Amino acid sequence: MAVAEPAVRALPSPRWRPTPPVASLRRLMARSRRADLVAASLFVVATAIALLGPLVAPHNPLAAGPYENVPPFHGSNLLGTDAIGRDVLSRVLYGIRTSWFSALAVIASGVVIGGAVGLAAGAAGGWVDGLLMRTTDAFLALPGPIIAICVVAALGPSLRNTLIAVGIVWWPFYARIVRGEITALSARPHLEAAKLAGVGPVRRALRHLLPGAVPAIVVTASLDVANLLVTLAGLSFLGLGSPEPAPELGAMAAQNLQYLLSDWWEPVMPALAIFLLAMAANLGGDGIRNLLRRS
Amino acid sequence: MVQLVVRRLLAAVAIIVFLTLALFGLEHLSHTSPVHSYLGAGASAAAVAAETHKLGLDRPIVDQYFHYLNDLLHGNLGVSYRTRRPVTTDIGQFLPATAELAIYAMGLALVLAVVLGIAGAARWRGAGIFRFVMLAGSSTPPFLLALLGILFFSGKLGWLPATGRTGILNAPTGPTGLLTLDGLIHGRISVTLDALRHLILPATCIAFIPAVSVGRILRSSLDETLQRDHVRTARVKGLSEWAILVRHALRNSLGPALSMTGLQAGLMFAGVVVIEEIFAWPGIGNYVAQGIPQGDFPAIAGVTLILSIAYVAINAAVDIAQAIADPRIKL
Repeated sequence: MAVAEPAVRALPSPRWRPTPPVASLRRLMARSRRADLVAASLFVVATAIALLGPLVAPHNPLAAGPYENVPPFHGSNLLGTDAIGRDVLSRVLYGIRTSWFSALAVIASGVVIGGAVGLAAGAAGGWVDGLLMRTTDAFLALPGPIIAICVVAALGPSLRNTLIAVGIVWWPFYARIVRGEITALSARPHLEAAKLAGVGPVRRALRHLLPGAVPAIVVTASLDVANLLVTLAGLSFLGLGSPEPAPELGAMAAQNLQYLLSDWWEPVMPALAIFLLAMAANLGGDGIRNLLRRS
Repeated sequence: MVQLVVRRLLAAVAIIVFLTLALFGLEHLSHTSPVHSYLGAGASAAAVAAETHKLGLDRPIVDQYFHYLNDLLHGNLGVSYRTRRPVTTDIGQFLPATAELAIYAMGLALVLAVVLGIAGAARWRGAGIFRFVMLAGSSTPPFLLALLGILFFSGKLGWLPATGRTGILNAPTGPTGLLTLDGLIHGRISVTLDALRHLILPATCIAFIPAVSVGRILRSSLDETLQRDHVRTARVKGLSEWAILVRHALRNSLGPALSMTGLQAGLMFAGVVVIEEIFAWPGIGNYVAQGIPQGDFPAIAGVTLILSIAYVAINAAVDIAQAIADPRIKL
């Protein structure tokens, strides 16, 4: 009588490592639809424009030129000039750099702070989890943008303070998501195996739990960039950013509002730039989500 | 059920207490000193000392916090640096305009959301377009909509006014403070119509982003419901696609959309501030926008507190309503 093979597979050894990123990227490319890749690459395109735009800007964004209120597509000013003769295109290109990297900076701070809080809460459990998550809930239960306005009003308006304020209201969202992922992962057998193999709690959290939460974080963060672009532009519109004459898209729209009915391009062009940037981020985020979902 | 409601309400109160602590802390971090804001930069040392004592700033910090809480409970939010009037008086004056704008914006957002959600989920040729509109909508800053709206409907076509709440000089000021209602109460239909004309552009600009977010949630939740067995049964029965959507799928799919509506109310407030500034709308959003360049912290903190309480209350109400409507939900 043949003895049935035990249906238990060998548990992954504690030496097991996640697939190196390059190999998984190659596998991804092979399987995915091309459209999603193109969409996801919009992030690279937007970053390139933000980085290189100011280098190809035809004029100095702060210098007043000889011709004021030139409409778009006239002469050397592709998007026209503003009320004191500054080149709108050059100002928009510099504004895109500020907007894009501001949004990425807030996302990065949200991922780091929220990720750390979520990881600590999910991995530790017990009263640490309770304390951290109740604090997170309190933040989430308040209207973020209004609180951010209030924080900047207290700290004094400047781009740095605006980023700090938005960072303060933005991380709890990430803490929730990371904590959810970590709690789900904690119940998986590889964690039990690691525990039995004598892996310490810190190493368990960092090497055995954190990598599993990375895809969820990447998807959330990439879909969040557009929200931040729009929110930050709104705050900049209200004067919560760098002071004039710094080229910021929201502030440009606000300062040129008075010329809307005579020289529409002065307020509309920067607002359109925000829209296009946010649209690229939304399409890119959708692409990244589809790619990761499929793999 | 009672226990559930009590727990949700206690949580709401705890959040407000947390907020008062945060606002109190921010006031102390604030870069503008209240004493100098009220007295001016050139005040004498004696006057500064007297004002510091009057404001209670020389007392222990814990003492100050309880003093602050006591003030809040008595409706005292401090004095605005800019208008030099009590913040409570200012908010009382500007709140009705914002309430009217927000009510119409929210109503419009819900209608738009249901239209977008259904049109995006239904099986028809235009669904793709509606999905694209929703994607584009979530990328649009409210001020871009406002600029384009003013440019076309006010500037080019001259159909709609671009500033203020009313063009009528002796418009009624009571009893509700909502012009569209007061016009009806006083039997002056022209006031109501004029107020509605003034509401169209700003309310649409504010409504668009929440409409799109709620519409997206509703669409994906409808998509999910349409995969269920009872929908297949309805299709087999030969019901029209429209009847299936509206009679058999919509109600089951409203839950997530409702939660999203509550959350979007918070984001909407930020839009209100920007839109009120653009349209010179005499509401608390504009009050905040005017206060920002002057560092008017008491005014901004007061509005933050009022709006946050409204937001927490709305979300508590949404949660409780959902728990009552759907017994599977546990708070």
